[in-house]
Amino acid sequence: MASEQKHTGGSLLFSVLQEHGVKHVFGYPGGAIMPIYDALYDSEVEHFLCRHEQGAAFSAVGYARASGKVGVCLATSGPGATNLITGLADALADSIPVVAITGQVPTGAMGSDAFQEIDVFGLSLACTKHSFQVTDINDLARVLHKAFAIALEGRQGPVLVDIPKDIQLAEITTTLEDVSKLRNKVKLPPVDVGHAISLLSHAKKPVLYVGGGVGMANAVDELRTFAKTTNLPSVSTLKGLGAIDPEDENYLGMLGMHGTKAANLAVQECDLLIAVGARFDDRVTGKLDEFAPNAKIIHFDIDTAEINKRRFADAAILGDLKVNLPALAIPLAIDDWLASCQDSKITNAWRYDHPGENIYAPAVLNEISQKMPKNTCVTTDVGQHQMWAAQHMLFNDPTNFLSSGGMGTMGFGLPAAIGAQVSRPTDCVIAVTGDGSFMMNVQELSTIKRFQLPVKILLIDNAKLGMVRQWQDLFFNGRLSETDLSDNPDFIMLATAFDIKAKEITKKSEVSEAVAEMLDHNGPYLLKIKIDAQDNVWPLVPPNTANDKMMESI
Amino acid sequence: MNQYQLNIKADDKQVVLERILQVARYRGFLISGITASVNTGTNIGVIELMVRSERSIDLLVDQINKLIDIKEVTVDNSASQECSA
Ligand SMILES: Cc1ncc(C[n+]2csc(CCOP(=O)(O)OP(=O)(O)O)c2C)c(N)n1
Repeated sequence: MASEQKHTGGSLLFSVLQEHGVKHVFGYPGGAIMPIYDALYDSEVEHFLCRHEQGAAFSAVGYARASGKVGVCLATSGPGATNLITGLADALADSIPVVAITGQVPTGAMGSDAFQEIDVFGLSLACTKHSFQVTDINDLARVLHKAFAIALEGRQGPVLVDIPKDIQLAEITTTLEDVSKLRNKVKLPPVDVGHAISLLSHAKKPVLYVGGGVGMANAVDELRTFAKTTNLPSVSTLKGLGAIDPEDENYLGMLGMHGTKAANLAVQECDLLIAVGARFDDRVTGKLDEFAPNAKIIHFDIDTAEINKRRFADAAILGDLKVNLPALAIPLAIDDWLASCQDSKITNAWRYDHPGENIYAPAVLNEISQKMPKNTCVTTDVGQHQMWAAQHMLFNDPTNFLSSGGMGTMGFGLPAAIGAQVSRPTDCVIAVTGDGSFMMNVQELSTIKRFQLPVKILLIDNAKLGMVRQWQDLFFNGRLSETDLSDNPDFIMLATAFDIKAKEITKKSEVSEAVAEMLDHNGPYLLKIKIDAQDNVWPLVPPNTANDKMMESI
Repeated sequence: MNQYQLNIKADDKQVVLERILQVARYRGFLISGITASVNTGTNIGVIELMVRSERSIDLLVDQINKLIDIKEVTVDNSASQECSA
């Protein structure tokens, strides 16, 4: 039985965090959150000082995604809170459980345009799953427990708790509640698998379409058993990568705008699409009216609002994938279809025999993927390098590939890698980044330095905002507007300034040795590879086009 | 363009009304009328929301239902209609 204890709001916060098993938080102090930072001084929770609140938010996201635990970030009121917003939006789009704590001006000053006062509670409406503002110390513990429960229950997501300074200072004598009682379950209608079973058993060309929901539901094993029992050919979204065993011969790769030809052709031809924790995002479907035009749909999800949102579901299976996937796992007789999918996979396999001396990024990523230690966690930024990593690296679990999917936020990769490394100190963590994205949260090199985090950074340098340059070349008549980065800083000198060992290579012949050196290095390491500014990501389904009409070169 | 009336029951919490209005706007529904009252005994708020949209009302019902403080959302068919506007 827990005994009554005297707390301030600040110390109560850390006690509740510890009750939820939180060992690490990411944050940045300031005036309106000083009582919380004062309480941190006596707390066992370890704080990682990031160098921008956006870095703290993304580190919390990376921490959550790499570990399956809730990520926690702290920021002061006003500019500190607004700096968190992008990270929260990212967490909302990718359904990541994060609890963000913001300081607020004292309740008496609220609504007076006080110094560093912003209505972050109002701002949070569009970028969190839920949010709270605590105006009575007696509510604080209950609200914090609820914040954790909401972040984790059903479709996961970010929750913000705004705590005015006087509440952080207020004193209270309280007994901490038993956290397990506060887990409330989302109520969903009972599942009727009958129709779905009938659709499955009658399908001649079914395809399994795997999304990020599988990893979030901790249902990778159930999915793999389902795939094995049914023998379905499978495709994955960006966020689903790692859920299906990448060595499975029936796995056709990523679908969508930069998906593999085999995956997109199979989906376009299928007569039944079994969507599992996926949401028919526009980067996946291409032109929606022409997406999988002959297919009936079975849609597994935890979120009722995803059913029929973008595509009508002939059978909706709502609820926990861990329960529902086994209920539909029946053997199917689809040998001819499987054989044709496997043929297409072989015919359309990636090639790495790129001519010339220049470094070919897909080949480097493929080599790293083969050489990196088991259970390496790769994060990416956003752009061409992100799509190349998704295409050419293999992941055996969704917690091993962290990429900003729904929001596509440049600046994600470095701080997310920091969060991942903190949550998994003995695993190798590699941030794959571009010269544009890297600069968006480059200040986090300081966090790496301070905590001596052995994060590896692969900087793919094309001296361009490559993905935008590619689109300007393909769809805007080559009018390269504001995508040139030829005056980039000296990245090697930059890394060295943060005590990070760094190396640059420019030729294909240098790749193997450099990759080995990076992977063998004990501490943080930056490897910059210079690539041709003209290299493009292929295949590419042009905007508002059906997925079988992909471009494969210029 | 269709007009719908939603009857919403919600916990009387901070910003629940703002949340409903934000979701309605973001999901593509124009608000043509609203009444709201709170039963101080039960602390349950009752909101009648008139909205217009080309989109299926199920989209909005599902999204409002996802809000944490919402207890129930129903479409009042007797008050919903197709309109020419
Ligand atoms: C915060 C943010 N701003 C702008 C964009 C638009 N955008 C998408 S990819 C890209 C270029 C990325 O360049 P770089 O990081 O160098 O990667 P590359 O495409 O060259 O591999 C831009 C500007 C974005 N996704 N995120």
